[in-house]
Amino acid sequence: MSEQATLERGYRRILAWYPRSFRAGSEDEVLAVLLATAEDGQTRVGLAEAWDLVRGAVRMRLWPAAPRPRSVRVAVKLMLAGAAAELAAMITVIATLGTVRATVAARDAAALQAVYLHQVSVIGLAPVAIGMWLWLAWANGRGEDWARPLSAACFGLASLSVVAALAQGAAAFAPATMIAAAVVWTLGLSSVALIFTPAACRYYRLQPVQQ
Amino acid sequence: MQEATFLILTALADGSQHGYGIITEVQQISGGRVKLRAGTLYTALDRLRADGLIGVDREEIVEGRLRRYYRLTPDGTAVLAEEAARLHANATAALRRLNPGLAGGAA
Repeated sequence: MSEQATLERGYRRILAWYPRSFRAGSEDEVLAVLLATAEDGQTRVGLAEAWDLVRGAVRMRLWPAAPRPRSVRVAVKLMLAGAAAELAAMITVIATLGTVRATVAARDAAALQAVYLHQVSVIGLAPVAIGMWLWLAWANGRGEDWARPLSAACFGLASLSVVAALAQGAAAFAPATMIAAAVVWTLGLSSVALIFTPAACRYYRLQPVQQ
Repeated sequence: MQEATFLILTALADGSQHGYGIITEVQQISGGRVKLRAGTLYTALDRLRADGLIGVDREEIVEGRLRRYYRLTPDGTAVLAEEAARLHANATAALRRLNPGLAGGAA
């Protein structure tokens, strides 16, 4: 009996890796199966079964099983597209760094400072923005309810920065950047709209207490 | 569909089973080739439940431990039938090409 208790403790240590919602409903059930399939007199968790359990835990955490409504699936894809668009915008800015500056210098030397600032801010902020897009895509896909207001807030900030860029006259000196910003902004608007649809709301509400 | 998933659905095709029962059934169906481990089994069951292909039939307490019986839902039955037909068609085609003499004899 104490051998089994040792083994059971070993299994429970690994089962602790599983999502809480799954453990609440199924930990004892899985444990019963593990003990039933264990060898007689086995006291330690075998390497192969430990690996199998950890792999299951990772899979459940990365790809939760609850069916995502279409709107959330599309929103997640749009957010990934947002990250890609942001990356493309950053590359565009870097690639056109010199030509844009030369054009501006020739037309309106006074604006050079503003252009320079704009370029630096785009290049500096793009990695942060890409990270945010990816993180929010992941969190929204999992149905984390905090991800929704956060996504909306990020979209609000992004909108403000677009307005600010327009006010600085960015459209005049960097049309390519403005097109990229417009694409990113549209992706943000659509994904935020999608995660607040009625079907999505039901999904987020029900998520943490899965079945 | 992964083989493990196909075999789990097959194990449930003629009646409800609990976790350990599914493992032994799958081993039997596959001629001893596939020994499901608990992690694989429950990750698959979790997904199949979420997708509505299986449901919980009933729960029992045996020796102080929860035993949950799973069964196919109508959706699960349909998906399994479709997958079985597809595999059958593929296997038939393969056998026909390997043994041209027996053409049409199999299916």
